[in-house]
Amino acid sequence: MEDEPIIQTTELTKAYGPHIALDNLNLSIPRGATGLLGQNGAGKSTFLKTILGLIQATSGDGSVLGYDIRSQGIEIRQRIGYMPEYDALNPDMDAIHQVRYSGELLGMNPVVAMNRAHEALQFVGIGEQRYREIGSFSTGMKQATKLACAIIHDPDLLIADEPSNGLDMKAREFMISTLNTMVNEANRSVLMASHLMDDVERVCENIILLHKGALAAQGKIEDLKAIDREIEIHVWGGATRLEERLTGQGFRVRREGRVMRIAHTEDDTTTAILQAAAEVGAQVRRMHEYEASLEDLFLAIMDNLGYSVKSSDDLLRSPIEARRVDAPESLGGGAS
Amino acid sequence: MSDENFSAEAPVTGQGRMDVAWGANTGDESPEHGQAATTAQSGEIFEQHYTPWTGQLNPRWMRNWSILRHHLLGIFRKGHRPWTMPTRIFILIAFIASLADAGMTLLSGLVGSSEFHALFGVSRDNLYGHVLGFFPRNVLYYPLVAALLVGGVISEDRQHGTSALYFSRPVSRFDYVGMKFLSVALIQALVVLITYVLYFLAEVVAYGRGWAWMVDVFPMFLSGFLAGMLLIFTYTSIGLSLSSVSTGRFFPGIGLLAIVFGTKTLASIVKNLFDREILYLISPYDCVAHVGQAIIGTQTTYDQYSWTYSLVALVAMNALALYVLASRVASMEVTRE
Repeated sequence: MEDEPIIQTTELTKAYGPHIALDNLNLSIPRGATGLLGQNGAGKSTFLKTILGLIQATSGDGSVLGYDIRSQGIEIRQRIGYMPEYDALNPDMDAIHQVRYSGELLGMNPVVAMNRAHEALQFVGIGEQRYREIGSFSTGMKQATKLACAIIHDPDLLIADEPSNGLDMKAREFMISTLNTMVNEANRSVLMASHLMDDVERVCENIILLHKGALAAQGKIEDLKAIDREIEIHVWGGATRLEERLTGQGFRVRREGRVMRIAHTEDDTTTAILQAAAEVGAQVRRMHEYEASLEDLFLAIMDNLGYSVKSSDDLLRSPIEARRVDAPESLGGGAS
Repeated sequence: MSDENFSAEAPVTGQGRMDVAWGANTGDESPEHGQAATTAQSGEIFEQHYTPWTGQLNPRWMRNWSILRHHLLGIFRKGHRPWTMPTRIFILIAFIASLADAGMTLLSGLVGSSEFHALFGVSRDNLYGHVLGFFPRNVLYYPLVAALLVGGVISEDRQHGTSALYFSRPVSRFDYVGMKFLSVALIQALVVLITYVLYFLAEVVAYGRGWAWMVDVFPMFLSGFLAGMLLIFTYTSIGLSLSSVSTGRFFPGIGLLAIVFGTKTLASIVKNLFDREILYLISPYDCVAHVGQAIIGTQTTYDQYSWTYSLVALVAMNALALYVLASRVASMEVTRE
């Protein structure tokens, strides 16, 4: 039972007319924390709505916590906690009553919901402010209140949409540590959609990368990083000559000024680099195995898909760019 | 560092300035390392601890009851739906003002004046007047109460994104809109129908009416009650449809008042200028009044057309309003609004 995936889809497709929002998704998300990545318009929201049973898939099947996404949406939404990205709180209500009401909407008895609201707000760190109006809260406190609303019924799976979005450093740290506590101490599963790669990497063991509605990558972050192991060298003089030589020898080289990262393809890659440097007269002043971050992994995958982007922000934060990439031609998209 | 380093006899070596300029020299010769003073311990009060919950969630009726309860109790208590203070005060004023005929009936019973009773006591016309009389009830009280109530019921869920709070939980859109509709209708019923019942009871109390009288008058009373329900239903469906297409409480409220009074005014102008009554069919109030007059059995205001025309117009108006409401609520988002 523990090994069973919490979310599983088989050839899941969702089309809005001619626009394919989800394209034959075959996913298997294990227990634990999983990051959901993708550009704006990649299909993340559609995916979340589909697995919540709020919209019907055009074809394919899926299950969440063993419940069918086509016919058991109510059961799914009872067992999961959803923390939306955008404001979802009444600014004129106290935090405690807002959280209690969210519990009542799940079917909790009002007295039980009130007790749990106290516990949930204490857990997310705003127990002392629970009788304050939400309208007077900072962004971090609002995010914490949304999290409390999502976990009031102790869900098996927490779906957090951009949980650390717009938070200052302290609030962000607290949100990350809270999610980590949910996963590691409370033994709950988290599906976290975020464009902040660092946060995803700190919380999640697994990622799913969607692109244009299709699955671009899926698996453990560590395993995926291993695909693109690289050696980083700092060169003094002759960097271009060295880059050309290494490329000519069939190595994949990424270069930023005099820093180069060469794909670690064979055991003697190091020797080959030093030999090439000696031949072209370039000094290698520093050499070490480069530990890729999730950001690098994302860029490498996007590179493989044919996008030349400098950082994930280029794609994840720009709705205009995303629209250009993903919208159907009839809506002015498809330019790239 | 010991105190003797700072005594008057201590030699001036310049070591402190050297340390600042070049860094401390500890560790240059021996492997010991200097350690910066640790930051003061401020004490940790907050301890994060996750408490599991193993309770059972109740079924659908309990979820729906919570929505209804949230909206209804918000009128009276803090901690539920935060109706605005003007809304709560106006409902109280409208409730008291709607009891004017009940008060006058009690007074006529005390005074014992038959003329007074003929004016205010329970009769066919007065029962009609309590729910459907144009002035003051359907000018100053009921449409305003409806406008204040429907204003933010759905539009504020769009505005604040709280629709996500409902739809990400096991609440269907039908239940959501159904319970909102019922909540608004019940609060209006408090003003329109509860006062109607109290008016009837005031007559019973003031004049000591027996069962025979009550049974005799009951069909008339029931007709008035039905007419009141029709009025509430119509105002609620039109008001909520306006609320569902908006993201603020102002437009739906003003829109409802504009529809109720605008169409009524237009119908009156056309009737007076051209002696044609047909335009009253676009006025929700006039249609309800016409149907109400017919089922209670009072003199109808518009007699060029059968009351069934009004009924058909009412059905059409409500169907259109409910269609708009249903389609707009169906389009409300969970992931973003």
